[in-house]
Amino acid sequence: MKTAIMIAVIVFADSAHDVFLTKGMKQVGEVSTLKLRELLRVARRVLRNRNFLTGFMFTAVYFFAFLAVLSWADLSFVFPATSLVYVVSTLGAKFILKEMVTFQRWAGILFVCLGVALTSLS
Amino acid sequence: MPSSRLSQVGAVLTKTYGVLILAVLAQATGNVFLSKGMKYIGSSNPISEGGVVSIACQAVSSPMIWMGVALSIIFYILFATALSWSDLSFVLPVISFEVVLNVAFGAWLLNEGVSSKRWIGTLLIAIGIFLVLRSEGRRVETGGGGKGTSEDLGR
Repeated sequence: MKTAIMIAVIVFADSAHDVFLTKGMKQVGEVSTLKLRELLRVARRVLRNRNFLTGFMFTAVYFFAFLAVLSWADLSFVFPATSLVYVVSTLGAKFILKEMVTFQRWAGILFVCLGVALTSLS
Repeated sequence: MPSSRLSQVGAVLTKTYGVLILAVLAQATGNVFLSKGMKYIGSSNPISEGGVVSIACQAVSSPMIWMGVALSIIFYILFATALSWSDLSFVLPVISFEVVLNVAFGAWLLNEGVSSKRWIGTLLIAIGIFLVLRSEGRRVETGGGGKGTSEDLGR
């Protein structure tokens, strides 16, 4: 039960990071320059963006939850289980970011999720 | 579709694919450097003898580890850059191609054994990415442009 809760925390934190990062980057605007001065300006905007920073905070939650669960559970179980992040992040993309996710894209994401789980099984 | 629209679609897809290919290569190569660096440290300094602090000090002074960290940072910047104009539901599964490269690089460069389970997994990932790429190509062609929200498509 403890492991299941921690895996849920890991998946939620990783997905929240993805959603907040995307939201932040969309607010900052399309990065479409290679000029150093412009890029530095974009970087400053990114580092001041609240959504980007919230996303970064969720990465820290993910990292420490991952380390914690590895202290009692096997990596060969934890890592495949965390591949659920592909599905949860896509749900976040659909319902929070209002992205259009077609049936074909859902099918692709499910294949990727299964594939990542299988490759990380020992 | 008018030729100007076609070239616009081509430019968006080229830019997106270019950034994502670089991101995936950076991450997978970074993982090889990190793995090689940490294995070298581990083999020359067992934990029981040197202690965790000594291993951490060696990791910080290892050029391989620095290279791996630098490539991971480049990956994150490219990932965030792609998200500034592309859908998360597109970028995330495509980035998972890194797992396929990890398995391939592990087998070829680090001489790691690859089980049949892993090869089947990489095949499933490849099929998944193919489906996602097809869905993106169609979406951009039908007017989704660089941003893919439902509003853009008038839904």
